[in-house]
Amino acid sequence: MRLLRAKFENFRLLRDLELQFASDLDRNLTVIRAANESGKTTILHALQWALYGDAALPGKGADFRLHPIDWDTNDIKRVPVTATVEFEITTHRQVSGKPRETLRQYRLVRSAFENVDGQVYRTASTVQLFALSDIGADPIDAPESMINEELPPELREVFFTDGDRALSFIEADVAQSTKRERVQGAIRSLLGLGVIDDAIKHVRKSVVEVNRKAKQVGRGSELDKIAGRLEYIEKDQVHLESSLEDAKQQFSAFEEKVNKTERKIAVVLQKGDKEGLQKNREDVQHEIKQLDDQLKAANKDHSALFRSCSIVTDLLAPLFTRAYEKLEDLHDQGKIPNTTVPVLQDRLSAGVCICGELLNSNNPGGEKRRAHIQKLIDDSQRADEIQEIITDLYYSARPLQTGEDNRPGAWLEDYKKVVERRDGIQELRDEAGRKYRALEMQLDELPETDIQNLRATLRQYKEQRDRCLLKSSSIDTQLRNLRDEQEGLESKRDRLLREQQKGARILAELEVTQDVTKVLQSAYERITNDELAKVSDLMNSIFLEMIGSDPEQGAIIRRAKISREFDIIVYGPNERTLNPDRDLNGASRRALTLAFILALTKISEVEAPNVIDTPLGMTSGYVKRSILRTTIQKSAQLVLLLTHDEIVGCEEIIDEAAGEVFTLTNPAHYPKMLVNDPCVSERKILRCECNHREECQLCQRRLDMQVAPGMAS
Amino acid sequence: MADRYFNPFQAIDINVPVEFHKAFIRYCQGNAGTIIDQSPFPRMVDLWFLSVCVAVRLDLEPTDISKYNTKKIIDGSIFSSDPWRVHTLMLIAIGKTGDVQIVSEPRKIISLASGLVVSGLPKVIEMLKNGNSDPIWNLSDAISDLLGKGRFS
Repeated sequence: MRLLRAKFENFRLLRDLELQFASDLDRNLTVIRAANESGKTTILHALQWALYGDAALPGKGADFRLHPIDWDTNDIKRVPVTATVEFEITTHRQVSGKPRETLRQYRLVRSAFENVDGQVYRTASTVQLFALSDIGADPIDAPESMINEELPPELREVFFTDGDRALSFIEADVAQSTKRERVQGAIRSLLGLGVIDDAIKHVRKSVVEVNRKAKQVGRGSELDKIAGRLEYIEKDQVHLESSLEDAKQQFSAFEEKVNKTERKIAVVLQKGDKEGLQKNREDVQHEIKQLDDQLKAANKDHSALFRSCSIVTDLLAPLFTRAYEKLEDLHDQGKIPNTTVPVLQDRLSAGVCICGELLNSNNPGGEKRRAHIQKLIDDSQRADEIQEIITDLYYSARPLQTGEDNRPGAWLEDYKKVVERRDGIQELRDEAGRKYRALEMQLDELPETDIQNLRATLRQYKEQRDRCLLKSSSIDTQLRNLRDEQEGLESKRDRLLREQQKGARILAELEVTQDVTKVLQSAYERITNDELAKVSDLMNSIFLEMIGSDPEQGAIIRRAKISREFDIIVYGPNERTLNPDRDLNGASRRALTLAFILALTKISEVEAPNVIDTPLGMTSGYVKRSILRTTIQKSAQLVLLLTHDEIVGCEEIIDEAAGEVFTLTNPAHYPKMLVNDPCVSERKILRCECNHREECQLCQRRLDMQVAPGMAS
Repeated sequence: MADRYFNPFQAIDINVPVEFHKAFIRYCQGNAGTIIDQSPFPRMVDLWFLSVCVAVRLDLEPTDISKYNTKKIIDGSIFSSDPWRVHTLMLIAIGKTGDVQIVSEPRKIISLASGLVVSGLPKVIEMLKNGNSDPIWNLSDAISDLLGKGRFS
């Protein structure tokens, strides 16, 4: 199947949009260039709705509005929504031993009405398929069955891919079993394993029928009993297998819940245990208080420097020297210390001078000397008050000049110590402050999650999951027992049938059904083993080709494969497994999922278009170009919905491979992102013929750096 | 020393020009809530005394305080707790006048010191303000420079 054209009317933003798709084998690429919010994903939905109806819409169409959001309800209250897709199908047949190719074109029209008066509801859509020919369009009955044959609904998500959604095959936030089911589901759909499964079930029913006949042959006999027992066993088996499937699904569901809850707990624990954080915050608060006290004390010490003696002695050192010289002079003159009066009085009392002369009043010389000393005593007593002060000053002020506390430069030394202490404490205080703020932020960011409750929930989920596992094991054991018993009974039944005339034909029928079952089972096994291996190998080669010489990942990734359990596994050096979701970068993850999808489509030999929305997101450089080149090569027809950024760096590849390139524009982007006013009052996507290198009046966009300030405002 | 020392300035009021009073309020720690970095001086006497010392260090002449309207900020009894300040004032008086006898005239000494405050205080205020940091750091750096060394030398 190849898409040729599509036309959408009133499908959300696609009020009236027509698209052409490149169908030329040599240039099979269609590029629809569109910025975000310009209809890319809507086109993906619209194409799928056209082909498969509401079941292909998000949430199977429930609550998914189709009509344009700004529809004028005063005008028309029943909005007709229509999607038309034209495609061609090539059939091959042998004519006279020669292959002959027939090309037929079809037009599919799906239509529904959406009532927008009051509560929005939609009528069931109707679909019509027409075979197109030179002379007109002939309607075809049962269009769904034809579409389903050409592009099975199970493959819808493989051929219509959202680059981000494709990551669901490897994403981490679902259970391993879910990823496995997704991969298995895609592979089963493509490889037709579902059909074989159904055939096996069908043959088993035939076995039951034959067994019933055997029962009738030997009515009342042992054969009757055995066949009756086998009938019950078959019924029990069907019932148990269904229960086993239910139990497995329940197990998967609970396993997913367990994983989700464990991740929630991990996130909470990663952010920190609330109680522990609060305790840390209290400790830091205490530390801060202590540091603040120390800082306060250091500040006081700093302040005390300006009332210290050292600042005075350092500042006044020159003056002190001068003033003290005066005092030294007095000292040298004997006026300091002030001991003259007591000494003289003592000498007068003794009647002998210091020099040995007599101070006796009877002696004329002595009398004269005595009078002189008395005068000296009187003079000294008059100056006594000043002398006392000076003497005191001389002795008391001496430490201001010299001494341990007043060594030269003492203030600068004290100041240096204060600075070091203050800076040291301040540094610790800043650090503690940062720690405190970080803890506050961590506490603020903590979700209001009660970890105890989460753990309790986790326990419950685990218990339920384990119960499911127990149930599965129990059913599995019962099934084994039944199979053992079945084998024994079948062998007895076959023996008894052989002994009877009528039984021969029934036995032959039984043998045929058993043979067919074996063939189907071995086919299932072969497809699983051989075809899965083929998908795996092709996925690996496409993947390695895509990431090729990626300087970031090339050295790490060695190979990728799909295991028999349907797990996508990536190997690093020394066969070490890498977690695709955690150990690969965004580009490699995208390459891996696209490689898986392309490998599936190739191996299935289903010829259908790959329509991929934003396949190159998160990619750049070599890997980006390589993904694009490989995807083009491996696709029968490729329709890419690309943003402007995705196109950057890939222009030459598009030049070479694209048969159709056009641009879609959302007029609502004016004036922030569009340069010119499209002068459109309705919200609708507009198309222009600009290719990936061109711009016109309609689609010309502002540069990012011009957009940024406007966006911020 | 303090126990036996007689404070000659006991009964003398210390006055400053009215216009300087604001600076004393601004840069001295008046109450418990004062931020030390903003108001580096524990008491008014500390700013007053540093102003005297800075004036002396810069060899400024005392200004005649009698020309100003003055306001009392402290009284001389405050020197009783720091006798070294009494000695310093006396030595300053001796150094500035060259007259040892001045030690017996406490009012003259205080008058001289007050004159030096009028000359020195604007310089101290300048030191407090000039710089990119809080007054305590500006002043510390300025004093360091005045003593001939930078803050972190």
